[in-house]
Amino acid sequence: MSATIIFDDALVADLSQQQPQTPWGRRTSKFRTVVILAILIPAAIVTMLWWFSEIPKPVLMVSIYLPLQIVASVLAAIAVRGTKSAIDAVIIVSAIGATIFSLVVLISVLWSIVTKGMQALSAAFLFQNNEYISPSTPLGYGGLGHAVVGTILIVGISALIAVPLGVMTAIYITEVRGRAVPYVRFFVQAMSGVPSVVAGLFILTTLILTGALNQSAFAAGLAYAILMLPTVARTAEEVLKLVPDELRTGALALGSTRARVVLKVVVPAAKTGMITAAILGVARVVGETAPLLLTALKNDKTVLNPFSDPISALPTYIFDNVAQPYPDAVIRAWGAALTLMVLVAILFTLTRMLSAKRLGK
Amino acid sequence: MSSTETEFRDLQSAATSHRGDRVFNRIITAAAFTALIVLAGITIFLGFQAVPVLQTQGIDFLTTSIWDPPNYGIWGMLYGSLLLSIIALVIAVPTSLLLSVFMVFLAPNSVAKVLTNLVDLMAAIPSVILGLWAFYVLSPVSEQWQALLNQYLGWIPIFQNSSGNFSGTPFTAGFILAIMMIPIVTSVTREVLGRTPPELINAAEALGCSMWTMLRYVALPYGRGGLVGGVMLGLGRALGETIAVFFVLKIVFDPVNYYNIIESGGGSVATLIVSKFGEASGPYETQLLLAAGFFLFMGTLLVNVVANLIVNRTGRLKS
Repeated sequence: MSATIIFDDALVADLSQQQPQTPWGRRTSKFRTVVILAILIPAAIVTMLWWFSEIPKPVLMVSIYLPLQIVASVLAAIAVRGTKSAIDAVIIVSAIGATIFSLVVLISVLWSIVTKGMQALSAAFLFQNNEYISPSTPLGYGGLGHAVVGTILIVGISALIAVPLGVMTAIYITEVRGRAVPYVRFFVQAMSGVPSVVAGLFILTTLILTGALNQSAFAAGLAYAILMLPTVARTAEEVLKLVPDELRTGALALGSTRARVVLKVVVPAAKTGMITAAILGVARVVGETAPLLLTALKNDKTVLNPFSDPISALPTYIFDNVAQPYPDAVIRAWGAALTLMVLVAILFTLTRMLSAKRLGK
Repeated sequence: MSSTETEFRDLQSAATSHRGDRVFNRIITAAAFTALIVLAGITIFLGFQAVPVLQTQGIDFLTTSIWDPPNYGIWGMLYGSLLLSIIALVIAVPTSLLLSVFMVFLAPNSVAKVLTNLVDLMAAIPSVILGLWAFYVLSPVSEQWQALLNQYLGWIPIFQNSSGNFSGTPFTAGFILAIMMIPIVTSVTREVLGRTPPELINAAEALGCSMWTMLRYVALPYGRGGLVGGVMLGLGRALGETIAVFFVLKIVFDPVNYYNIIESGGGSVATLIVSKFGEASGPYETQLLLAAGFFLFMGTLLVNVVANLIVNRTGRLKS
């Protein structure tokens, strides 16, 4: 009658799923009462002051509510757990405070973009260009169609350049595995820190000031490619690492050459991941403004030729309309911000969906 | 030489000497060096522009603060970039650390997952949009905060303001930089704290440690390298940020604003380049901006390389 525990796979799997114990997470009824009191009392005092006193609101929140809440939490912690957990209470209150602060900022940004941007949205705004439009023109006329075309053109050119190069860099690191792997990885990391304005200056001095290129979509695409490449390379590297080695050895054993293993087995196996890498690269650059100001300038007309003329894109359209003394121009800037943010949100959701799909397999 | 050995070597050379493979390897290897070529290209071409500037302006280009033909010096901008980064770090580092402590040790898994996605979304907001928000939403609020800071804490030198003008201050610019840094730093610190071995946490709990003791003596020392690296990656972003700062900071060369963070006027190299590019009156002014870009690049490269070395030493992190 011995109670032997059999460590079969199921039990081991179950045990390894267990979360670490968190004694600070115990809940007793006394604990609950004290915590509720510690939350309600400062909140009540501050609500009273909020309505019935002349103290400026930011001062009230920062120099009265926050200290009050911390003191209340410390007292509650001492009452429940003893003096040792007093600092814990301070950390918990500040951690929740930091989280709320970040969320408030995020929500404020998204809320302003949506509410102010919606005022600008109309068919004309999305499809017309800015020709014959001045900052004082009323909202019903003109739009950012030319800037959307510009963004698509510039980002498309940079993706055509950076995605293959980035994927090839990743293939070098994970498949070819040459002697220079640590160096290549180091340079890619260093490249991811190149400020966007420096990428613009580089294209400006090497290609535009020397007369090789105009300020155009192609020049801007090259500057974007510099920023896009490291993101693509690092994501593609992570993804290629997930391809099981059995696929490689199996293909080699069947007699295929290394090049064929990579091109016909490894890369197709990581197809979704490659698309994720490309999308992340696009999302990284789509809102960059500084390189465009140096390499693409602006243009009120719709430009389709990537080599001929300066060109506007969504970020430069926003840039031109900010700080104009005309309310309609400012609304246009918010409308363009909403368009750009929707674009970013679509890319963001796509990467999430693709990676969820990959993990689900 | 035994026959098996030769056979093996023959096989090995046969496997690598396939012509298609050699071509493939060469193409891939060449592509892998794009990063090096670009970095070297930036250093050489921008450095090439910096030389004549240093020849005509001398070392004054780096040590004086003036933008008045024929004299140019970017000291105020270099210092301004540093000041803005320090303000951003002071706000962003505690916030990010506390945020990741909340996500790793306090929040239930489902909440932590949602927060992770929200932080990533925050990182995805383009800087021009944050700049727009900073100009129209943050600045008015920030001016009130600064007036209050000045009113109640004005006796502290950094909160002095003699002009009564609270717009275009380093405080607001540093604040928007902090908002850009928070998601970057948090994503690293969250992962570093999350990788503290559960055995160590459990052991600390079993010994009766409070959460603070556990953080102080287990989690923070364990992830120290990663935490420092994450902060430096954020710093690299702050140094190179251009557009968001452009909208909220008034560029002032003289006098250099050394510590009055709520006084209107400050500097930033990256922003200088964009704001002066449009009005650059000739090739020489463009060359000055290229030279400024060279020093900006050198600074950010240094910060990033050190940051990556630290992060890599403590184990690779996905970014």
